[in-house]
Amino acid sequence: MGTGVLMEKVILLIPGIPIFIAFILFFVRKKELIPKVSLALSSMVALLALYGTYYVISNDTKIIGFDGLLIYNELSAVLVPYVAILGLVIRKYASKYMWDEAGYKRFFILLNFIFASIYLFVMSNSLIVLALAWQLLSISLYLLVSFNVGSKTAVKNARWTMNIHKGADLVFIFAIILTYKTFGSFNLAVLSEKWLAMSGHPVENPMIFVIGLLFLLAAMMKSAIMPFHIWLPYTSEAPTPVSAVMHAGVVNVGGILLNKMAYLLLLAPGVLNIAFIVGLITAIGASLIMLVVADIKRSLGYSTVGQMGYMIMEVGLGAFSLAIYHLIVHGIFKATLFLESGALIKWARHDSNLPKRLSYKLFWEDKVKSNSKQIFNYIAFFTIMPIVAFIGIKMVLSEEFFEFNAAIIILAFAWLTGTQLFMSFFKASKSYSTMVMFALVGSFIMILFTYEFVGLALEHFIYGDDALLFYKAATFNITMLMSVAMLAIIMVVGWLFMYKQYFKDIPKIDSEPKRMKLLFYKFLVKEGYFFSLFKVFKKGKL
Amino acid sequence: MFSILFLLLAAGVPYYILLEKKTRLNSKSIFLLSGFLLLSAIILSLYVENEHRTSLVIVSFASAIYSIYKATKTTNFYKLGYYLIFVNAPFFILFEGAGAMYSFSLLVSLVGLFLIGKFYEKNYGSANYRHITGITLVTPCVGTYLTLYLITLALYPPFPNALFFLSHIFNSEPNTLWYIIVVTLFFANFSLAMGVMRATLFGRPHSDIHYVHMNSKEKIVHFLILMLLLTLSFFGLKETLL
Repeated sequence: MGTGVLMEKVILLIPGIPIFIAFILFFVRKKELIPKVSLALSSMVALLALYGTYYVISNDTKIIGFDGLLIYNELSAVLVPYVAILGLVIRKYASKYMWDEAGYKRFFILLNFIFASIYLFVMSNSLIVLALAWQLLSISLYLLVSFNVGSKTAVKNARWTMNIHKGADLVFIFAIILTYKTFGSFNLAVLSEKWLAMSGHPVENPMIFVIGLLFLLAAMMKSAIMPFHIWLPYTSEAPTPVSAVMHAGVVNVGGILLNKMAYLLLLAPGVLNIAFIVGLITAIGASLIMLVVADIKRSLGYSTVGQMGYMIMEVGLGAFSLAIYHLIVHGIFKATLFLESGALIKWARHDSNLPKRLSYKLFWEDKVKSNSKQIFNYIAFFTIMPIVAFIGIKMVLSEEFFEFNAAIIILAFAWLTGTQLFMSFFKASKSYSTMVMFALVGSFIMILFTYEFVGLALEHFIYGDDALLFYKAATFNITMLMSVAMLAIIMVVGWLFMYKQYFKDIPKIDSEPKRMKLLFYKFLVKEGYFFSLFKVFKKGKL
Repeated sequence: MFSILFLLLAAGVPYYILLEKKTRLNSKSIFLLSGFLLLSAIILSLYVENEHRTSLVIVSFASAIYSIYKATKTTNFYKLGYYLIFVNAPFFILFEGAGAMYSFSLLVSLVGLFLIGKFYEKNYGSANYRHITGITLVTPCVGTYLTLYLITLALYPPFPNALFFLSHIFNSEPNTLWYIIVVTLFFANFSLAMGVMRATLFGRPHSDIHYVHMNSKEKIVHFLILMLLLTLSFFGLKETLL
């Protein structure tokens, strides 16, 4: 066997390495050695992943092994290095953060198991391996979320998490059984070819819709899509590195699953439409709740739920590769937020106010009275600028970028929620409106450009010419004119809301809030009365 | 004839109701007896074809439902052990040939649970785990082994129960009864195992209890059980994937 071939096979060992690390850690006695061993061997995984990606890109080929059970293809080439590097950062962070916690070794062992299951999931080429990884992920997550075993609330929330994930396991297993009964194979590569061949002709088998729907349901449960979202915002009591893993890794598996099943969903456009609708409801619902909940960690939880909503919406519109890009970008962003929280607390102890970061210096100002007549000018500017940027970027790049029309609307939503969250943390003054305005419009242009550019590059890399089939299958995909019109509506409504909400003015004491507005606010603060409903059924056990 | 024998040996009827009433037989003896009978059923299935009739599956399922109810009420490792044998009896009957391997791996994991029960009895006075909380924190070795047994019983990979279970359900012809049994027992095994986890592995350590670590002999025995489980996992993996 040549060195090249051997290296190929070694790459397929990636999912086994974290399990090997966990096994070694079990016998490590010295506490100081635990992070060192874990980091050193995890670095190997990251290097192997990078080599694997280089191999796949340079040779334009896939690495398949273990009787076709594992594959290192284009999707793995994108995701495995991301997970490996993320894992490295989280381990490094946890090595100090978790030092004084009881169960230091247990934490690292469990962390390695959860990463093993994610690698296995991404690299699986068999539905059975996928099912094993899916379940391994559930149990590892449960043990990590309930890491603070002494805390009643942590254990209770972990129980909720586990119940939903167990439901996802069952739905997933049934989807696999039906797939095997209908298509006669467990091999994903074989199945994808079969599905692609079938996509050329009209398909009238209702079982395909059922299978697609089951996979979507399983993905929704794992990715905390409404109404299965309750596990995510309430697991913030887990250690910060676990929160980072959950928000940057675990919730993404729903999107990864739907990408693996992309060719099946070609045959079931109805499922794509359902994905779009549930994604839309989740994105709007979770984003609204995110803005009103008082607990900052829960707010971040709802932010992730909202982002997962966008991701599922993208899948519903046939922009599968964009969903992958979205989950990577969101994962990096959210992991950074969680991992930085410790440093923020440290700074906050020195300064009772928020730490004076760049954004703080730019946007913070005491509430002062300013000329509010300019509001319409600002809104007009906020509406026109993004549309000009949207069309401009499309013109500058190429005609092909017009395939992302619908996804752009989602991006606009995502950007609006992001800025809303940003504004809720950093109060902006009307006197600095111009600066804020330029910063936010600038961020939109940047997001638009990178999403268009990287999204298309990823699409070519992962799906090649097949990507166009997904857009055709997604019946909710829209024209350029519609996307511009929708973008304008979103911008006007979004900015009007934000301007009124966050650009602070001297409050009028004599004005009373409207009753309907108060009721709506109460509805959001109570998180849609989700838990109150459960309490009615569970007789206050929750 | 053999079907009824299989039903009895594999705990398809809740004969423990009678045994529990006999004062001479304690829960430990009932566990050992039902475990021995299940082992006999497994060995017998190697020689005699285990063909099931729907009526017998329904009987064993009714028994399993009752046993699930009983298992939720107990906090005793021995009792939980034999209730789990009865809870899983429909799998032995429904899975036919493949059911023997599933039941064997179930038995091995239950032996582990039984030994944990013995450990509790020796050190804390009885095999009852109520109020003996926070095991994960205070005695990590006991916590690790108990966690592994409970994960196995809750049907999670990479342990053999889950693998044999998956192997069978991927290769069988489902019907309505099959779906009802699979869904019920899938959640029942999970809920019972997770219940034990919450009750004794998790929680704050009790200040009135003197927690004891495993001695070397006990560690070796549990390590051997774990190795046996992993060996079975290897066969289960082969059966499921290939």
